[in-house]
Amino acid sequence: MNAKLVISMAGLMIAAALPMLAHHSFAAEYDSTKAVTLKGTVTKVEWMNPHIWIYLDAKDEKGSVTKWQCEGGPPNGLTRQGWTKDALKAGDLITIEGFRSKDGTNTCDSRSAVLPDGRKVFSGTADDGGPNGKKQ
Amino acid sequence: MNKFFQAAALTALCAASAFAQGGYKPPTGPAPKLPDGHPDFSGVWQRPYTPDMTKDSRDQKGAGELPFTEAGLKEWKSYDATQGDYTGQCMPFGLIRSINSPDPLQVMMNDKYLGLLHEQNSWFHVVKLNAEHAKNPTPTWFGDSVGKWDGDTLVIDTIGFNGKTRLDTIGHPHSDQMHVIERWQRPDLGHINYEITIDDPKTFTKPWKNTRVFTLRTDWDIMEYSCEENNKDYREGHIKGVQ
Repeated sequence: MNAKLVISMAGLMIAAALPMLAHHSFAAEYDSTKAVTLKGTVTKVEWMNPHIWIYLDAKDEKGSVTKWQCEGGPPNGLTRQGWTKDALKAGDLITIEGFRSKDGTNTCDSRSAVLPDGRKVFSGTADDGGPNGKKQ
Repeated sequence: MNKFFQAAALTALCAASAFAQGGYKPPTGPAPKLPDGHPDFSGVWQRPYTPDMTKDSRDQKGAGELPFTEAGLKEWKSYDATQGDYTGQCMPFGLIRSINSPDPLQVMMNDKYLGLLHEQNSWFHVVKLNAEHAKNPTPTWFGDSVGKWDGDTLVIDTIGFNGKTRLDTIGHPHSDQMHVIERWQRPDLGHINYEITIDDPKTFTKPWKNTRVFTLRTDWDIMEYSCEENNKDYREGHIKGVQ
């Protein structure tokens, strides 16, 4: 099995298996109509309950850098899928696809993280009352 | 291959072995028994996440449209999670929302007690077996639960709720008059058939139910889940709590 195939499998399987944002409803914090794609460098990862947080310096097409913080899955669920707290670290380049918070701050709910070559290696899910949920 | 790729590759392999749909198979054989001959539900169980009890999902049959009373429908229509989400404060999920959560549940059992160890926020709940409800129980988040055997089916009856919780993540309401009946069956070593009935005359015109299948995870242990550890959502004001 080559590396590319392994990574593709990882993306698909995590997309199917990642535990949801159960500790509170998606709708309480995020806006499903405001999708956001962030490309940048990870500056810090908080591997803690109730959800991990990824901090990044996101760079736009003009090169301007904006600081963002994005919420991921619970560390317990990620651990069961093979992640460790060191899997993602400061300096890694990633693209996060998610949804903005309703309060207008640079906060997002991460639904997937994509490497610069386009391979999807990490994804959230939509059954937390977020996109596809009833009361958004 | 850098560390991130390695982690992803490991994730793929673990996901493949860890989920029923990805290759995990629960052990087979007859249901284990307690010394008194009744089924023993002990084990670490994977349950279907049920963020909306009306809808079907894998291993879970939803209730469909709920039979709201006028007051119940008014409460449901007025609910807006952006104006306050008690679980976002890390307040107790309560009995129903805990059983609905995606995190594993460990059951420990003897002939007197059924102990439910929820990984979700590390809460526990004890069911007294072959016992009667406390008289006028103090209302609580998880209620007062007693279990009785109907053949090999354990019927758990719970009253005494404080009315501060919601049934599921999407926010279906209930009142402090809620009465919950759970029916637990263990048809074989690897599975529990679970049925929950919600009876709440303040909120619903008639009882309704939801059925699920739990899968024994011999490859999992439950882990600590300290919701308060880094609750940035609430601490930084991205979500509101309730009073």
